[in-house]
Amino acid sequence: MKESIYTTVCPGCSIGCGLYIRESDKGAVSVDFLKSSPVNLGKLCRFGMRLPHYYSRLVSGKAEGQDCGTEDAVRAAASRLKGAGKIAMLSVGNTTCEEHIAFMKLAETLGTVVHTGIPVYAQLPPECHPHLEGMPFIDIENAEKIVLFIDPYVQYPLLVRRLLAAKRNGAYIISAGRTELHLAHENRKLSPEQCAELDLDSGSLIITDVHPHTDPCHIQQLLNIALDTGARLQVMKPFVNSEGADRLAKSRAGMMGISQIMSGIERGDIRTLVLLDSDPVELMPDTSRAVEVLKKLEDLIVISSRDSPVNAIADVVIATEPLYRKKGTFINAEGKLQENSGQGIDGIDAISMLSRELGADGFDHRQVHGYLHERMIETLASENRKPEYCRMECGTVPAQQNGACTLEYMYNPFMWFSQPDDNGFVLLDRGMVKSLRLKKGGTVRLDSEKGSMDMRYKVEKVPEGTILTGRKLPIATATVTKIKAEGC
Amino acid sequence: MVRVGDKLIGYATDPDVRSRGASGGLVTAVLAAALEKGLVEGVVVLKRIDEYEAIPVITDDVQEVLASGGSMHAVPVNLAKYAAGRKIAMPGKPCDVRGVIEQAKRNGVDLESTYIVGLNCGGTMHPVVTREMLVRMYETDPEDVAGEEIEKGKLIFRTKDGEEKAISIDELEDAGYGRRENCRYCTVKIPTSADLACGNWGVIGEVAGSATFCEVMNEKGKRLLDNAIDVGFVEVRPADGKAIAIREKVNSAMLKLGDEWKERVFTGIPDQERLTYYMEQFADCIHCGACKEVCPVCTCGEDSKCTMFHSLADNYRMSMYHMVRLLHLSDSCIGCGQCSDVCPVDIPVTSIFRRFADPAQKKRNYEPGMDLTRPPFLEVMLK
Repeated sequence: MKESIYTTVCPGCSIGCGLYIRESDKGAVSVDFLKSSPVNLGKLCRFGMRLPHYYSRLVSGKAEGQDCGTEDAVRAAASRLKGAGKIAMLSVGNTTCEEHIAFMKLAETLGTVVHTGIPVYAQLPPECHPHLEGMPFIDIENAEKIVLFIDPYVQYPLLVRRLLAAKRNGAYIISAGRTELHLAHENRKLSPEQCAELDLDSGSLIITDVHPHTDPCHIQQLLNIALDTGARLQVMKPFVNSEGADRLAKSRAGMMGISQIMSGIERGDIRTLVLLDSDPVELMPDTSRAVEVLKKLEDLIVISSRDSPVNAIADVVIATEPLYRKKGTFINAEGKLQENSGQGIDGIDAISMLSRELGADGFDHRQVHGYLHERMIETLASENRKPEYCRMECGTVPAQQNGACTLEYMYNPFMWFSQPDDNGFVLLDRGMVKSLRLKKGGTVRLDSEKGSMDMRYKVEKVPEGTILTGRKLPIATATVTKIKAEGC
Repeated sequence: MVRVGDKLIGYATDPDVRSRGASGGLVTAVLAAALEKGLVEGVVVLKRIDEYEAIPVITDDVQEVLASGGSMHAVPVNLAKYAAGRKIAMPGKPCDVRGVIEQAKRNGVDLESTYIVGLNCGGTMHPVVTREMLVRMYETDPEDVAGEEIEKGKLIFRTKDGEEKAISIDELEDAGYGRRENCRYCTVKIPTSADLACGNWGVIGEVAGSATFCEVMNEKGKRLLDNAIDVGFVEVRPADGKAIAIREKVNSAMLKLGDEWKERVFTGIPDQERLTYYMEQFADCIHCGACKEVCPVCTCGEDSKCTMFHSLADNYRMSMYHMVRLLHLSDSCIGCGQCSDVCPVDIPVTSIFRRFADPAQKKRNYEPGMDLTRPPFLEVMLK
């Protein structure tokens, strides 16, 4: 009858929804509602409700194909890293600030940096970076006009209640996304540069997101709009601690996105990859291609709190405790510091041990937490910033090709992890249903250069020639894939 | 030995438990005694985290029961779900008790092995809303609060330095604070379907604030209280006529207020607008399933019609999930408010379900969760 209860945050996206995880003495995990969490009042989305499944995939350590304990895995990793060149390290923000800092210290020892996998930062002038940092979610409720470049229902569901509150408070909401949103007053197919037509001002708010596959032009254009009109930007991020990982980065100048890392591996510029709770197989749109590329590495070392596809092809897996048990902090997309009640320090201890094996100093949780305070606590409660950057010259976001049929993956933080869910369908418009003579309750056949598959479909108002998916499909080659569709 | 129907004034014999308890610690002592003497295997208690947060835990440790959080108005959880499949004792607001009874009707709970000590309830508050209310209405730092109480229509907060501030619940609710919406129109304030019905209404004179009014509702209640008296955990004496009358007067006043709120919230919808109303209410649903997960009267588990008949790929104007749940809950919704609390898009789910269920329950003079003698009417109709 004994159970442990942890106060933690949902690892689904950067909103940072508070919740309880109950863990029975037999290891069974269940979710309970933390109603006093100011971020979400105990409310959870579909992903949060399915966290027991997410946490059911326990990770075990391995080295050179053999299961092993942490010490052996660390020694094996050290042995591979000693003398290794062309090392890249990736931590997208799926773990605590403290573990991320420990990983950064390890990177220093190895003479490299930790990449956060989101390429936008490297392609923006540094003075723009603070404007991609989060603002209090309550500001959404007080905005006068809101332009959405996300689908909050699918991508960041706990924003929906903020937007509905804004609407009740008199805000005018425009959706510029690919689907029509019920909560929007107006659904327009807008490119970022067309925002100028919307008569935005300092009472306006633009909500978008940055993720590993965001087109930098999109963000540049929105920053320009913010500069011209005084509108504020709320930039959502995909991972629980994306904001923390981003703010901890010393310099974004050489920061690589996941696609760039994968290209670097293909070119042979990267021979060793060290991952901290980050899985390129899950994060790249083309799963099988990602596996092929990663197999070209000489050393693939994974430090992970959960079992994920990359573990199967890793040379070494250093297993740590699940996220909810970790002692440490996260920073959510509004810049709020949140703390786990767990006291687990396996992850930090393992990274410290690895550092010592490589001849550098070790460290403990207290030291890395102290570093966190030094670096950023005072910057967390940032005021509403006035733009302090110059207008940028930027390209245009590629327009939809009329007539061509494309499969678009609505980059969705929650569906990467093979969650059992009933979203196994695509969205297409009524015109396509008619032209393909699709039958009610039937399927549509999708063909790409990678193969063919039949999918159930739902009729929505989506752009002509576009098929949207909320789940990564095996026939996809990129976030936008050219396909042929036919009735079946 | 007490008798079924007895109305008593009692308190914990341990001075520490008595002083820490909101009303003399009788409920805590009765639950601890049930565990001590093996009447049950575990007790559901609220493990206090702070003034606004506590988490239900099931413990077999008597000391943990004695140290538990007690009654907390700003912790609006329903404990009925924690009773399923266990031989336990639990404290319960009327909606907790009603949830357990509805589960028992559907074989989710074995009432023979479940003991419920009911607590009078005038309503609960959401913790985050309470914090905001303290700042705006009471001009008090939420961290300075050391206790709260509802008395004579006022919500009273006591600060750590002993200062008390009281504001009428009407005033708070007019300003959008106070009790959760479902609590305002709730029509069961004394949990008469529990084994014992306890509270501070009717506790007057020298024991005011340090004793509990306790009514023995059935044989199990008698067993619980006798057990606690036998092991020396509680002392009781008969309540006098004045105490009984005051308890009834408070109850009547609360029920009247509940009826008034009901009229305010459930304004009529013309027949031709009903479908539009329900479609519009659920239009922002993201299909998280949380409302089903927390529902204390739902015993379907994974194999439920509401989820089996529903698919996200459907293009129905209103999802089958909601259609089935509206129908399914029409004979069992107790209006506990859990579904509204956890709805990620702030749909007032409880009020929508109560609005749907109310006419059907009224027509059959059926109040869910009040006794075991009447089976769910949908079940009867289908047979």
